[in-house]
Amino acid sequence: MDTQPSTRTPDGGEPAVRLDTITKRFGDVVANDRVDLTLERGTIHALLGENGSGKTTLMSVLYGLYDHDEGTVSVNGERTDFDSPRDAMDAGIGMIHQHFQLIPPMTVLQNIVLGHEPTERGLVNDAAARDDIIDICDRYGFDVDEYLDTPVGQLDLGAQQRVEIVKSLYRGADILILDEPTAVLTPQEVDSLLAVMDDLRADGRSLIFITHKLDEALEISDEITVLRDGESVGTVEATGATEQELARMMVGREVLFDRLDREGEPGEPVLRADQLRIDSDRGREQVRGVDLTVRAGEIFGVAGVQGNGQTELVEALTGLRPVTSGEVHLHDEEITELRRRKRIEAGVAYIPEDRQREGLVEDYSLVRNAVLGNQTLDPFASRGVLNWGTVADHAADIITEYDVQPPNASTTAHSLSGGNQQKFIVGREIGHDPDVMVAAHPTRGVDIGSIEFIHNRLIELREEGMAILVVSSKLDEIQKLSDRVAVMYEGEFVAVVDPESVTDEQLGLLMAGAAREVDDYRDATLAAGSDSSQPDTSAAEETTAAATDENPTAGGRS
Amino acid sequence: MRTTTLLSPKRLRLVGLAAVILVALGAFVSIVLDVQVERLITRGFVTRSLEMATPIALAAIGGLYAEKSGVFNIGLEGFMIFGAFTAAATMFMLGGTSPTQGQLWLAMGVATLISIILTLGFAVLLIRYKADQIVAGLAIWFIALGFAPFTAATIWGSRSSPGLTSINNLAFGQSPMVFFTVIVVAAAWVFLYRTRYGYWIQAAGENPKALDTAGVDVNRVRYATVIFSGAMAGLAGAVLLAHAGNWVGTGDTMVDGRGWIAIVAYLFGNYNPIGAAAAALLFGALDMLNVQFQTVGIEASARLVNLLPYVAVIIVLTVWGKTRMPSKVGEAYETEE
Amino acid sequence: MSTDDRGRLRTLLDRAADWLLDATVLERLAIAVASTLLAIAIGLVIVAAAGFDPIRFASQLLIGAIGSERAILRTLRNSVLFVLAGVAVAVAFRAGVFNIGVQGQFIVGGFATVVSIIWLAAFVPTGAVGGMILLVFGTLVGIVAGGLYGALPGVLKAYGDANEIITTIMLNFIAIGFVGWLVAGPFSDPDATATRTRRLPANVELPQLVFSDPNLSIVGLAVTLVTVVAVAALLTRTSFGYDMVTSGYQAAAATYSGVDAKRMIVLTMTLSGMIAGLTGAVFVIMIQGYFTDPSGIGNYGFDAIAVSLLAANNPIGVLPAGMLFGGLDSAGSHIQINSDVPVQLIDGIVGLVVLFVSAPELFRMTAKRTGLGGDSE
Repeated sequence: MDTQPSTRTPDGGEPAVRLDTITKRFGDVVANDRVDLTLERGTIHALLGENGSGKTTLMSVLYGLYDHDEGTVSVNGERTDFDSPRDAMDAGIGMIHQHFQLIPPMTVLQNIVLGHEPTERGLVNDAAARDDIIDICDRYGFDVDEYLDTPVGQLDLGAQQRVEIVKSLYRGADILILDEPTAVLTPQEVDSLLAVMDDLRADGRSLIFITHKLDEALEISDEITVLRDGESVGTVEATGATEQELARMMVGREVLFDRLDREGEPGEPVLRADQLRIDSDRGREQVRGVDLTVRAGEIFGVAGVQGNGQTELVEALTGLRPVTSGEVHLHDEEITELRRRKRIEAGVAYIPEDRQREGLVEDYSLVRNAVLGNQTLDPFASRGVLNWGTVADHAADIITEYDVQPPNASTTAHSLSGGNQQKFIVGREIGHDPDVMVAAHPTRGVDIGSIEFIHNRLIELREEGMAILVVSSKLDEIQKLSDRVAVMYEGEFVAVVDPESVTDEQLGLLMAGAAREVDDYRDATLAAGSDSSQPDTSAAEETTAAATDENPTAGGRS
Repeated sequence: MRTTTLLSPKRLRLVGLAAVILVALGAFVSIVLDVQVERLITRGFVTRSLEMATPIALAAIGGLYAEKSGVFNIGLEGFMIFGAFTAAATMFMLGGTSPTQGQLWLAMGVATLISIILTLGFAVLLIRYKADQIVAGLAIWFIALGFAPFTAATIWGSRSSPGLTSINNLAFGQSPMVFFTVIVVAAAWVFLYRTRYGYWIQAAGENPKALDTAGVDVNRVRYATVIFSGAMAGLAGAVLLAHAGNWVGTGDTMVDGRGWIAIVAYLFGNYNPIGAAAAALLFGALDMLNVQFQTVGIEASARLVNLLPYVAVIIVLTVWGKTRMPSKVGEAYETEE
Repeated sequence: MSTDDRGRLRTLLDRAADWLLDATVLERLAIAVASTLLAIAIGLVIVAAAGFDPIRFASQLLIGAIGSERAILRTLRNSVLFVLAGVAVAVAFRAGVFNIGVQGQFIVGGFATVVSIIWLAAFVPTGAVGGMILLVFGTLVGIVAGGLYGALPGVLKAYGDANEIITTIMLNFIAIGFVGWLVAGPFSDPDATATRTRRLPANVELPQLVFSDPNLSIVGLAVTLVTVVAVAALLTRTSFGYDMVTSGYQAAAATYSGVDAKRMIVLTMTLSGMIAGLTGAVFVIMIQGYFTDPSGIGNYGFDAIAVSLLAANNPIGVLPAGMLFGGLDSAGSHIQINSDVPVQLIDGIVGLVVLFVSAPELFRMTAKRTGLGGDSE
């Protein structure tokens, strides 16, 4: 990969795309708040941001999938208002979705021409299509023409992605939107994708590159716009920008969280994992040899940009996903092979990442949801029979104690806001007095009031002696809550650090995979383990980047 | 497409399976029961097998188009019943108990037309009103089982019709509908795999969103295939009647499960029109074999032999599992606004 | 304790009220009623179009279903089968598994009951005690056979990824064909003219007690009611039922809550098949007394799908829905004898009911357009 300093093609003409103060709301949630973005012709513009920061929403507005509430969209200097992707396509915009829009059993050629088939006497003109595709492939050095007659489903993901790109080019796209294209690729495939993007730019096409990987954004793009909580934090030239700067812009600080006071020292190890290796659904290894120990009365934070194996790790710890190797221990007992239900009964509570899909049954009342996961536990059930009276009392207790609105146990979970749903889940999971709490993104899409509430509750539980594992991609949350922080990158814990002394820069770098630069630091902290008096980082920044825009619940329910 | 799909391992295995069944059957019959094969496989047997296979193949082609596009038309059996009955009734209205060949042909046309009208309503329920495809399809069967014999009884005073007329054979003592079906099968294959509309049908069943983002109206594609499936099933029923020469409305009517067999046929043929037609032929032959068994004097296992296709479908479905059905069958599609 | 009890009673009453006032329950009830009325209305139009008197037909429908003691008993007798088979379907649908194979499981269960009773009859004494033993044994065998025949597609779905809709339809054909072959061949009654098995021994008979209809026993009704209540209790009051229903509502949440999805599919299909097998046992013991060619046995297992859907897959709701179908069936028998209107019309009306029930959206949209039914979001 040659990383010659990117040179923006000087072009007196209009920019390829200009988004001006775009605002998009879903109900009360503001997914995009007055976002500006200008894509110059013949350049690559990276759109950087955490999950839920509004990147995909913004691009869906551009691509005609969503109507926006305010602002204007201009393509090639002309005001436009696309009603459908078809309109966007006609205007020369192509989008490569994160989930490929391909038809697995159909051949590569058929997929590429779908909807735009050249025909001759009623039949699809295979030869003409073939020629056109080969032309495109020759021009950009794609290998797609080598397997035009193979069913797409038989290709690996990298090749499928190239098919998607060729499909857009075949449809005449001049402006390409790539939605997290590297998320599913191997490092080698990433390199070749970036090379392709470089070629496309050299040919005069304009690209928007959605990503949350700093190095990739810096490597390939000309300009970088960072989104956070639906707002544009700013746009910088890639030349001269650093990973530290971008990391800080990206994770930022939503509100000024003070680290919560805490008492007591951690006790015995409760949850322990040794050399865990875990595959994703697609069979790719997502966790590569993770060791961890969570002690009683301790909050162990796992920081990291999403998609680095946290989801798989959490699912394996809670019994929802098998491990390929390694062991999980609860107290002194090995639970690696224990089924999910047995783990619940053994005292592993879990606040799931996707609360609407997993954590609640949307059509159930709160009463019925109050026993989800606990349906075999005493006192809610005895000898297989549910005691609805106790469950109803339990639901009422959760509602009172956690201030769930509306305070009516017979409303369906569906009708609650995200924050109230989450408070209800937290209350439920604590309710059966577990030994371990695994909390995955416990405050994602939750309003500020509920965030404070949930945080305080977790700290209280810590003080009561519970062992708590918190996974979050919000740095401030991790720092506020944790006694120790592990940073996860590409399936490994690249460092375990002390949250009080580590700086945002250091964390940002670790999360971006730049572990080498802080190697010394990591070694020091790893050796010290959970000891929280670290001498060498006393210059901890306490209140960095207090850029606090009050911005509730971006990317919540839509 | 090209040779890769024509000779894919999966297809070879399927064809192999079918061949093995036939050979095993032949071996079973000739060795265990000590029967001369030449007495079973006569020219009449071949002719009659083709004739039996025709309605099954036609309905199967229709059904596979609908399912390819993502709509499981489980009502094939019902539409076949309607088709057969409408053809009989039309023939009787036109020519009483001795209709001419022209009237017979006209009746088949009318039966197809009526099926199209009925399927239009069915398609609206399925696509616009997102009816449960399984339940609605079963309902069509029940409705047909009720209303066809009912109307027959009001016309003829009995659930079955008097003798009408059957279709005149063409060359080689073969029904013209056999030749017609061969053409339909070939055309269906070309249309599905060689035209843009065929691509759209496949895409609508596998990944409707991809088709939508390519600018094609998914539901329009599905309407077309569902209505086509009804038309084909109706025609299949009419052909069945044209071969038989009279309508039987007792029990499960003269259609007697052939619509279900048609579904099995296209599953067995892996959603390929030619495969489906081959499977239909296999079933037609099995059907005829029973008749032959009786004429030759073997009584026993005829009914069991008929079960082989069902067993085979279960095995095939289990072994090849989810790769076979179009992935979005049964799901209503809504465009994002 | 008494205050606690009162509190609990209060909670129960509140919940009952909530349930009744719940928009979805009301809506489902409305859809069921509308489907039935619409189907009957269309049926009457067809009657009129065919040149018969629709008013007379409607009154005969009513008379045939509930117009006399005989009619009522006949309705109850049919209802027993529709309700039991409907519960079998409801259990599976509730858990998100589409068991279309209740008909096959019903046949296998019924046939197994007959065969096992005839086999065991040789070893037990005649008379009431022996009859009891045979009854219980036969019923259990029927339940087990139905359960196994239901478990098979469950296993194929869970571990082989085979679509249960298609496998159960196939297994229906296999049951009809195979049992038909057994009935005509190895197990046929050499003395009978019709194709059927030997009769059950005379001592295998449910007590008559209350009813004059020889084919309706109070025991049959009791078994039905007990099954309905037991399944309803299982679904609403037990951990296992909670697992099942949650799997049907939201599979990911069920997995989160500790349900093993594959195991649940197999268990659901087994339970559904067991109830279907029970239906078969009740059918042969209470009504038929032997087993005939299953292709002509009646589509109880298929109609049960309609019954279950009409009841929104609620086992308690299956009771009225099953009785509606029992009534229609019974009216059919009456009309066959006492009217010129061909009885197949009833089957057509049943089909229409099923069709309308399959498309609740039809009524929702219509209600919205006409401004009826308030604002459903």
